[in-house]
Order: sequence, then structure tokens, then C-alpha cells
Amino acid sequence: MRKDLFASVGLLGIAAAYYLASLDIPTSTLEDEVGPRGLPTVLTVLLVVLALALGARALLLAPKAKPAANDNEDAEAPWPRAIGMLALGAFYIMASTIVGYAPALFMLLLAVIFYEGMRPSWRVFVVAAGGAAFFYLLFDIVLGVRQPEGLLF
Amino acid sequence: MDIIYFLTIFAASIAGLVWGILGSSLPGLSASIVMALLLPFTYTLPPMPAIVMLACCYIGAEYGGSIPAILIRTPGTNSAAATVIDGYEMNRQGRANEALGISLWSGVLGGLCGLAMLVMFTEPLARLALLFRPTTYFGLGILGLSVIASLSGKSLLKGATAAVLGLMIATIGTDPISGVSRFTFGSPDLLEGITPLFVMVGLFAVTELMTRTGVPSASIKPGASIRVRLPRWPMMKKISRAQGIGCTVGSLEGLMPGAGGSVAAFIAYNEARRWSKEPEKFGKGSEEGVAAPEAANNAVASTALIPLLSFGIPGSNSAAVLLGGLLIHGLLPGPRLFETNSDVVTGIYIGSFIADISQIVIGTLILPVCIWLVNRPRPYLAAFIYALIVSGTYTVHQSSFDVGIVMTAGLLGYFMRYFGFPFLPAVLGVILGGLIESNYRRSLVLSGGDFGIFFEDPIAIAFFAIAALIVVGALVNEARAAMRARAAWSA
Repeated sequence: MRKDLFASVGLLGIAAAYYLASLDIPTSTLEDEVGPRGLPTVLTVLLVVLALALGARALLLAPKAKPAANDNEDAEAPWPRAIGMLALGAFYIMASTIVGYAPALFMLLLAVIFYEGMRPSWRVFVVAAGGAAFFYLLFDIVLGVRQPEGLLF
Repeated sequence: MDIIYFLTIFAASIAGLVWGILGSSLPGLSASIVMALLLPFTYTLPPMPAIVMLACCYIGAEYGGSIPAILIRTPGTNSAAATVIDGYEMNRQGRANEALGISLWSGVLGGLCGLAMLVMFTEPLARLALLFRPTTYFGLGILGLSVIASLSGKSLLKGATAAVLGLMIATIGTDPISGVSRFTFGSPDLLEGITPLFVMVGLFAVTELMTRTGVPSASIKPGASIRVRLPRWPMMKKISRAQGIGCTVGSLEGLMPGAGGSVAAFIAYNEARRWSKEPEKFGKGSEEGVAAPEAANNAVASTALIPLLSFGIPGSNSAAVLLGGLLIHGLLPGPRLFETNSDVVTGIYIGSFIADISQIVIGTLILPVCIWLVNRPRPYLAAFIYALIVSGTYTVHQSSFDVGIVMTAGLLGYFMRYFGFPFLPAVLGVILGGLIESNYRRSLVLSGGDFGIFFEDPIAIAFFAIAALIVVGALVNEARAAMRARAAWSA
């Protein structure tokens, strides 16, 4: 229930930010009765109402008994580790603009394999290099869809 | 029939089908992109095989999207989003081959059902399609949104909140009526809005990668058979009701230009759950939960051709690519197409039939390889899924910005998961936001601001009534569950 209270506060923050951003929507001579701000305003009100209802429910209702842990079926990574995984993707976006698609993908593959706990070995490097080559051939050559070009390659 | 004519259709349909299945099994490559990639290859072909190849590619692509949805929780196409719910759950229970078999079988049935509608009822159904007005589409959008009531999991409140978040994402981009930009913050990359597929890939796949990193995947049994298990008679009987619902919803939905397979899949999923003998199994690896959406989105692939061939109205991006193919080869869709180019129309019918039937053979050959791939050691699998996500996303608009959108959606999904908000209502909000807003406002423009227009359209009224029934039913169920929980607590 404490989680719901935090979620409620967060949602109110999102509603406020969304509403403030909606004030910047320009007006147009082609506007209809509802206008481009119509739906955003309705959604802001809805989100505020839902967030308040969620918060009220969290405060008023008695906390439920915690369910017993069920093996590792729903085990989840701790949040710093999860964010780290996302950071690897962000790193790939930056790297691809500098070194180009295939080398950046090679680094991403390598980084994720190590991040998932595989120990360094020649096999890991071969798999990462093979994977980068495979994706390059598939997208750039076979499908003819250009992938990011870097400053270097 | 001329043997050369038949062999040409056969070769074109198989080539189109294989390309469609393989292409759309790559996340990011939607059915329309896969077809667009094929289009240049058809320039040099005569009109008939070229159009048959494109039509069969569409059929293959509608099916292929379910493969990554089941195996790696990443819908290959928008319309495969509903398949993720129970398909991936079955995979986690070590039943990937069973889920893929059910999806394949349901896809074939859905495709054949849609094809039968296309062949037998093109003319009356085309007339029905002309009755659809903006109010009808608004009604359809509301009906689609009402499905949220049953996709919300344990809390309707959280489901509704997730839907509002999805609708908010859908408002990003150019306003559908006045053309002004909203929430773009000066970025030209946001003018076209957020592609729903990016939100899905982020919410489902990136979030899954984030939350499972470093966690052993004990649920996927490595020693399990990689052969696809097509349903046997008892299972066929069990899922037949869900397939029937999927076929009906998909066949009717395909007629509505713009509605698309994703809405059909979600509505079919919801209805299958409502009419199921085991509704409690939905969301926990229900076979019917895979069968209904797969039958629906494959039926759409055939009936979506009705407005296209009859009036030249492309109801979806994929149909627009097919229209492009027709025009490139000097074929003008419309009633005269059936008289002047009957060989092409007959070719589409025969080719679609061959493609639907061949899906069983081709699927049985391709799917074991896919199952084998997802049973590789977790570090390799995670790395290749990540590479597939970033590469597939980039292909849509050739923009690294889109990859950033997927990562952001992944972060949003992480927080939603942490706080217990379901993903599917948010996905529906993103998909339906544009349809609902634009048709609501268009209706009011047509009526000069008179809200009475929504109650003058009988089809729209029927959609509103069904939507109201679904929401009231879900509210009653939630109230009952709360009362039962309270009784158990006090006992």
C-alpha cells in the first residue's frame, strides 16, 4: 500500500507536468470546437482523479497480507542492476553515432553477455563478433535497411 | 486451369509467405515495412504474381508477429500484442512449442475464415463497409478501450490509470484536426507521434530484459522438445470456441478501414475470456488466450482486402502498400477490377488459400529453429534480443531517436511493473488514442457540435452498448472479488 501512495504522488506529478506542457500547445485558425487542448485537458483531470483515488485507497484500506514467496519464478533483478541494463542500451545509441553500427553492436553484445554473468573467453568474443556480423548482413545487406553510420565507420 | 498459371501463383504465394513470416518475426519490422521491402522485387514481375506475392506476404506477416511475442515477449507486429499475454506465459511454463502450435493452427483457421468471407461476401460486405462513419469508428474505439476493464488484472483502478497514461502518449505529435504540434518540445522526430510498436517493444521486451537480468530463467525448461506441437483433437475442441470468436471478430473488423488487427485481437481476447469455461486461466497461460487473438488478426489479413479491392480504400499501412503495388502494375482497384483483371483477383484468392494452408508446413519447419534459439544460455539470448530490439527499432524510421523512445518506454515499463500497473491497458491507450480522438472530433465537426450525432448511428450505438456491458460486468466482478476477499479476511 505504501507503494500505491508513492505511485499516487508520482502520478499527480505527471499530471501537473503534462498539464503545464499542454499550455504550450499553439492555437490554430483550423481549430474545431474541442481543439487540440481538449483531450489533454480531459486526460489531466482523469489522471488527477485516478491518482487521488489510488492514494485514498492506499490510506484507507488495511494492508493485505504479504503473499508467500513463490520460488524464483517471479524473481526480479535489484533496481540498480536493472537500470544498468538500460544504460547499456543508452551506451549503444551513443557508441553507434561514433563508431558505427557493427562495432557498436559488437560492444553491446559483448557488454550484455558479460553483464549477464558469462565469464570472458574466446567463445564469447566469437559469438559477439558473429552476432554483429549476422545483424549487419541481415539488415544492411539482405534487407537493405541502413543502420546507424558513425563518425569513424 | 492452366498449369503455368497455377505454378506461378504457387511460387509467388510461398515466396511472399516465407518473406512475411521471417520479416515480421523481427521486432520493429511491421507487416507494412516487410511488404514495402518486398515491393521493389515485384517491379520486374508480371502484375498477377506480384500482387499475389504482396498479399501472401501480408498473410505471413500477420502470423509471423506472434513468434517473438510468444518466445521473447516482444510482439513482432502491433496485432500480436494480445498474444503476448498468454503466449509468453505458456513459454515461461515450458510450453512454447504448444503455444506456437496453437497460434499456428488458429492463424490458419482465421486466415481461411477471412478468405471465405472475402471470396463469398465481397460485394455485400463492401456495401456494409460504406456505412461506417466517424461515429462508428469512435464507437469502435470506445469498445476497444472497454476491453481494459478485463485486462486490468487485479485492480481496475490501476488498469484505468495505465490506459490514461497510454492515451497521453498517443496525444504526442501532430493534432489530427488542426495540424498543430502537441508535446513535441520542438523536436521534429516527435511530429509523427510515438509509434505504438515502440511503446510495446519498450514495455514488454526492454522491461523484461531489465527485470530478469542476472536472474536464472528456471521456468524455461532447457531440455524440452523443440518440435512444434500442433493441437490434437481434445485441444482443438477446447480452443474451438475461442477460435470461432476470433474468426468472427477478425472478419468483421477487417472490413473497417483503419481499425486494424490489433483492436480485433484485443476484442477477441476479451470475448474469448468472457465466454470461456475457464476464464480464470486467462493471463496465466491459457490456450484459448492464444487462439482467439491469433485467429482474429489472421482473419483481418484477408477481410481487410475487401474495402481495398472493392473501393480502393486502404484500411491499414499494409493495405496501402498493396494498393501501391496494384497502382505500380497499372491495376485500378474498384468494381471494374473484378471484370477487367479477373486473373489477378482469382490469383489473390488462390494464392491466399495456398498461403493459409502452407503456413502449417512452413511454420512447422521454421518454428523449431526459433524454439532452439530461445533455449540458448541466458546471457547469449539476452544479448541477441537486445541487439534485435535496437536494430529492428532503428529500421522503422532510420532514427536513433526511436531507439531512445524504446529505452524510455522500457524505463516507464520498469516503474509500472514496480508499482503494479498492468501494461496492456497502456498499450491499448496508445493504439486507440488517435482513432478515438480524431473520429470524435470529426463527428462533431460534421454535426456542427451536436452530440446527438453519436446516437443517430445504429452501429455506434451497438458498440457503446457492448462496451457498457463489458465495463459493468468487470465492475461487478471486481466488487464480488473484493467482497469475497473481505469475507475471507474477517473469517
